[in-house]
Amino acid sequence: MRIRVVTLLIGVALAVAGCNGAATPPPTVTIFPAPVRPAGAQDITTMPEPPKDDCGDREASLRPGPLPSPGAMPAGSTMAEIKARGRLIVGVDQSTYYFGYRDPSSVEIKGFDVDIAREIARSIFGDPDRIELQVVDALKREDVLESGQVDLVVRTYSITCDRKKEVDFSTTYFYANQRILVAKGSQIHSAADLVGKRVCAVSGTTSLPRLKAVNPDLTVVGVANWTDCLLMLQQGQVDAISTDDAVLAGLAYQDPNMELVGDSLGIEPYGVGIKKGNDDLVRFVNGVLAQIREDGTWNQLYDRWLLTILGPSPGPPAPRYQD
Amino acid sequence: MVIAVGTPLALDARASRAWVRRFARTTPGVVVVIAVVVAAACILAGLVSAAAVNSRIAEQKAVLDHSEPFAYAAQNLYAASSAADAAAATAFLSGGNQTPLMRARYQQALAAATSALANATAGAPDIDTRKALAEVSAQLTTYAGLVEAARANNVQIFPLGSSYLREASSLMQTQLLPGAEKVYATDLARVDQAQRRIGSLPKVSLALLVLATLAIVVSSVVMARRTNRQFNLGLIAAGVVAVLMGACIVGAVHLAAGEMERGRTEGTEKFGRLGEARILAQQARTDEILQLITRGDITASEQSFNGHIDKLRERLGTSWPAATEAVNKWVAAHREQVDAYQANDYLGAVAQALGTDPGASGAQFAVVGSTLTDALEQARTTMRDHTSDAGAYLVWIPSAALVLMTAAAVAVVIGLWPRLKEFL
Repeated sequence: MRIRVVTLLIGVALAVAGCNGAATPPPTVTIFPAPVRPAGAQDITTMPEPPKDDCGDREASLRPGPLPSPGAMPAGSTMAEIKARGRLIVGVDQSTYYFGYRDPSSVEIKGFDVDIAREIARSIFGDPDRIELQVVDALKREDVLESGQVDLVVRTYSITCDRKKEVDFSTTYFYANQRILVAKGSQIHSAADLVGKRVCAVSGTTSLPRLKAVNPDLTVVGVANWTDCLLMLQQGQVDAISTDDAVLAGLAYQDPNMELVGDSLGIEPYGVGIKKGNDDLVRFVNGVLAQIREDGTWNQLYDRWLLTILGPSPGPPAPRYQD
Repeated sequence: MVIAVGTPLALDARASRAWVRRFARTTPGVVVVIAVVVAAACILAGLVSAAAVNSRIAEQKAVLDHSEPFAYAAQNLYAASSAADAAAATAFLSGGNQTPLMRARYQQALAAATSALANATAGAPDIDTRKALAEVSAQLTTYAGLVEAARANNVQIFPLGSSYLREASSLMQTQLLPGAEKVYATDLARVDQAQRRIGSLPKVSLALLVLATLAIVVSSVVMARRTNRQFNLGLIAAGVVAVLMGACIVGAVHLAAGEMERGRTEGTEKFGRLGEARILAQQARTDEILQLITRGDITASEQSFNGHIDKLRERLGTSWPAATEAVNKWVAAHREQVDAYQANDYLGAVAQALGTDPGASGAQFAVVGSTLTDALEQARTTMRDHTSDAGAYLVWIPSAALVLMTAAAVAVVIGLWPRLKEFL
């Protein structure tokens, strides 16, 4: 009897063991979707201070003298050096639609900013094509001016008191307002709705600190280019983008499912960045800007590049001079 | 069941053990013990030797059938993925002039990468490798999706396309390629270890053969004392066979080890160097293209390019003059591209980078790529040939060990039988 029980138990044990051995499937592979994000994108934890208005009128620049004709740059001036080199070197952007962007079909960099720079080249050489465009990250704009890598920076460059400590600016050639870009149908209608949201901005721009000052309860994601922000918004990696309306309109043009919302968070005057101390060049550029305001070139450029995304021209900004 | 002391069965067992002990001290007993011990030692040594050499042959087959093709597939996966990235960037840089040739090159690179992935998955030795390959596979499909999104935006002349391309390239450079490189490096190390093992001496079997020979020598001495004959032919034959067998094993394994060593130095090691060289060339090409896409200060990307080229030259050494020559021409073409860029001839620099005429860096890079691929195939063939030849030296050893050592055991029994018979 006992033997039978033992036999039975052994039989059951063997059967169970046998079943387990045969029924356990071989290990299978399980992985997660490949994470993607633009190169250099990161959450910004330490925010630069919001811009301070501690330099009087930040937009005031040096008054231009009479504009020399292209063939006759004053001897010893910065413009004469540029003329001797044979081309004007300008730092621009290649991913901000209609200000400075790379046309994928022609491989040319074009836009409103680029044409402003070309007008300056035209005034020096009598030829707008005597120009070398170098793409410069927003973060590097002061560096490339200080090191002399470029003569000018024309790159949606907001005039601020902080930046004026490091570089000189021309008079304002464009006014933008910081606003917010979201997907149509999102629940975000103003800066107040951004609580707990992820908002994208380019590192090294004035948009970042102002955003945090307006609404401290949001996560700012810093990237290298504005189109990276649009890509992250399309991929659901961020909830909103905040920067100048001029830039946002260019982004919205590339994706009709996006819309600008909210009131202006602040005014951004764009100026041409010039190496600190090159007063002759500042005056010269201001002279060129004064000329294109008056002779209608500014409005032509506006209509050419910005009419479709920003509506009819408000007219060129009035220059302000400090002396 | 316990046998109680004092029962008839226990007495029986003790009695028979005592008889065996007494018998073993008699001459016929000694003869029987010698016959059994020496025959068993011979057969054991034969079995162990056969098993040891068999495992080396199995390892050699595994290298030829699995780990080497896997390393080859993993290397191709890396190279093809990297080539796809370079092709996508090239197509982007060309803008509206994106030719059917450029599109075809990207498609071919993608197809080559997926083929390599399928080959690698079939040879994946463990679950971790399969997981790593699954990750590469998911990344590759995601990558292709991002590249097509970039293309769709480019068609509409939207700068958003460049962001998609940068994101795709970032995925490739920071996740996919490092993952593929790890799979490849791990497996090449595995091939190298297996090759070393194939050429290692089977120490246990040799020790057993030495023990069997010693047993035969001791037995001969004992037999010479117990019987009045100086030599036992059976024992002598067995001894000769055992020594011969040991010599054969040492000789065959030594020859195989020589082949494996040549396979490693002229094959695996060169394959590894060329694999790295191919990766470095791709990285330098990516530098060259990206500096034109980025279109800013090129100091940093020139440093990166020169660094990759220096390492590439170092990997090539003096072993492949044709490849070194191709690299020199490529670098000269690159200098022209940089000169054009620095002279503000951007379109000229782009043309130089993408061109297909012999002086263009694009054409020269293609020459470097094909030269390296040819050399890589050559190294692979060398490695496989030597590994295969090593197997030819070993393949007869297991059967020979079994047959000869069994014959030795039989010789011992036959040789001792007449001595035992004298007492029957």
